Amino acid sequence: MTDLLKTPASWPRPLLGRASADDPTDLDAAVKAGAFAGLKKAVRTLAPAAVVAEIRAAGLRGRGGAGFLTADKWQAAASTLAGRRYVVANGYGADPAARTDPVLLERDPYAVIEGVAIAAWAIGADSAIIAVRATEAGAIRRLEAALGAAEEAGFIGANMLDSGRELTIDVRPVQGAYMLGEETVLLKALEGKRGQPEQRPPYPSERGLFGRPTVVQNVQTLALAAWILREGSAAFGAIGSPAAPGTILVHVRGARRAGIAEVPLGTPLRAILELVGAGGRSGLAFKAVLIGGPSGGILPAALLDTPYSFADLRDAGAHIGSGSIVATAAEADVLELAELLTRFCASEACGKTIPCRIGTRRIEEIASRINAGTPRPTDADLLTDLSADIVASGLCDHERLATLPMASVMRYFRPELDAKLQPAAEQAAGRQRVAVVDGEPAH
Amino acid sequence: MSLIPGLGIVRGMALTLRRFFQPKVTHLYPEVPAEISPKFRGRLQLLYDEHGTLKCETCFQCAQACPIECIDMGGVDTKGRFAVHWGASETYGERREESALRRAGRTVPDVAYEHWSPIDLSAVDAILHEADHDPRRLLEILGATQAAYGYLPVAALKRISFGTGAWYAMVYGTATYYHHLRFEPPARLAGADEPVAPTVESGRERVEADYLAALDQAIGPGSKRPAGRVN
Ligand SMILES: Cc1cc2nc3c(=O)[nH]c(=O)nc-3n(C[C@H](O)[C@H](O)[C@H](O)COP(=O)(O)O)c2cc1C
Ligand code: SF4
Ligand code: FES
Repeated sequence: MTDLLKTPASWPRPLLGRASADDPTDLDAAVKAGAFAGLKKAVRTLAPAAVVAEIRAAGLRGRGGAGFLTADKWQAAASTLAGRRYVVANGYGADPAARTDPVLLERDPYAVIEGVAIAAWAIGADSAIIAVRATEAGAIRRLEAALGAAEEAGFIGANMLDSGRELTIDVRPVQGAYMLGEETVLLKALEGKRGQPEQRPPYPSERGLFGRPTVVQNVQTLALAAWILREGSAAFGAIGSPAAPGTILVHVRGARRAGIAEVPLGTPLRAILELVGAGGRSGLAFKAVLIGGPSGGILPAALLDTPYSFADLRDAGAHIGSGSIVATAAEADVLELAELLTRFCASEACGKTIPCRIGTRRIEEIASRINAGTPRPTDADLLTDLSADIVASGLCDHERLATLPMASVMRYFRPELDAKLQPAAEQAAGRQRVAVVDGEPAH
Repeated sequence: MSLIPGLGIVRGMALTLRRFFQPKVTHLYPEVPAEISPKFRGRLQLLYDEHGTLKCETCFQCAQACPIECIDMGGVDTKGRFAVHWGASETYGERREESALRRAGRTVPDVAYEHWSPIDLSAVDAILHEADHDPRRLLEILGATQAAYGYLPVAALKRISFGTGAWYAMVYGTATYYHHLRFEPPARLAGADEPVAPTVESGRERVEADYLAALDQAIGPGSKRPAGRVN
């Protein structure tokens, strides 16, 4: 089991507050600790529109990576005319290096179930699916046990909290590539189809599962929604940064320690890395931080004051993504790291569009010939152009983000890149002859 | 038999005479371009790039879009291996040279088609019945079929396509996409001579393991470069 890191006592823990329970599936204990209080409040005292208004007032943003306003999704789904609507909780946890979502499901399944029920109440859905990676057997088992108990107690089921409304929640183990975590791909998998993304708009909140309005939400987002209804939007707004309040789960890795922590959004990277003993006065020196998973940005140690938030990371050339944060060793070769990340992204791309199946592969080839010491004189320009083209023409965010590792090397580690590009530059200047290995027409 | 003798001949000649003076349909092509239905898309042909490599990436988009299902794909992978229908980079479905061979009417070393042998389909029929012939339960149907046969025989895929009404490209595309579904009986995987087909999980596991190894290497002090992609 993945370790939970100790965080400073002043950091609030809306997500992991109940994580230390002996038996997370014990419904009575969970209710005593506050579970389903938010749902009761929503169903008994608030109209669906008032629930959406509360979520909006809290400023809740999706924890699945992109940070989209949750209330906007709920409102769109609720106001699209349809016979049925669905809620899908995205617990797929695509990044193998970030186990935050399965750990939340294991440690506090009721928080996610409650959040799903609140979302269903707010948009008028009578059925919901919690999608979990098929290999996460522990999370699936606990979720199923918890769903059974919640239904027996009448929190969900044929007559949800005696409101006369029905809500069935299913757990669906899914398996596939990295891409399966993307919302339109996940919906395809739930429909039993090949997992490739769809053009958005229309967004799933208008046309989602089986063509019906569907709110797809990361499991953390839903657990936070439950907390907001229980504790109020003002309490939530007081946590973290004003632009994106609340906390988020991160999976931090350093040379000394690794584990999962709940951090307020807006916390400086420095403070997060200190949790694993990297940097700081007593910590190990490191060179760069990879933030956001395989398609993340590689930021230099000089940017440690950057707040961990959607907007600040985007400006710095990274993204929250999967919540993975990796501190590299002081002597790490960032260019090799970027190549390996790009290779992962290219291998995991779905193949639907040309930027996806060819563009990502070309970036990988450029990275690999630079690292192999056989760059071409045009490679730096090619990388810039190609990345811009992919960002401009990609169908889903995966291929766009797949340009980040190499782009961040270009932006922050230019001297290292230039050193590796040197042979090509010299050749271009006619000073030295270097055999440029011409690859075969690549496939 | 007409009542008036000879009337048939007169009628026949009248038709001939009328046609004789009607405008002719022969077009003076290419001087006069032919009138073509707006839906006409021309002859299907795969194009080559400047290296002489087929441009088709066998992404299935055309096969899935084709309303009359006249485009069909099946086969192996993109990197010169065959007998591989899954794995991250295999999501494109088919090795293109082989798709070209098939189109050229030559024999193709394609297990998916070799496996096109008659099998007892009663198990598939039972599975389809159980799943209500519902195309929305395709993954479940495919999983049950694999459980019944040990792999997904092409004959079973065709039956599933027929039984659910989901077009074959969709059934095949879905089956190739998911890592836990396979097209060869497990015995063949184990006993294969050359090239060795990877086990069901290995393609996926290798990609993930490479990624995690890259992170470990970046974190840990100066270990050597982990093995790259195995081609
Ligand atoms: C390549 C890719 C992988 C993704 N993987 C996940 C994932 O594993 N879990 C997740 O919750 N969201 C993932 N997302 C984001 C989803 O598309 C979607 O935005 C999210 O589930 C919506 O929930 P939120 O608004 O609560 O963040 C991924 C996106 C992309 C482009
Ligand atoms: S399979 Fe894809 S690449 Fe090949 S012809 Fe069809 S649409 Fe084009
Ligand atoms: S990964 Fe294929 S279209 Fe985005």
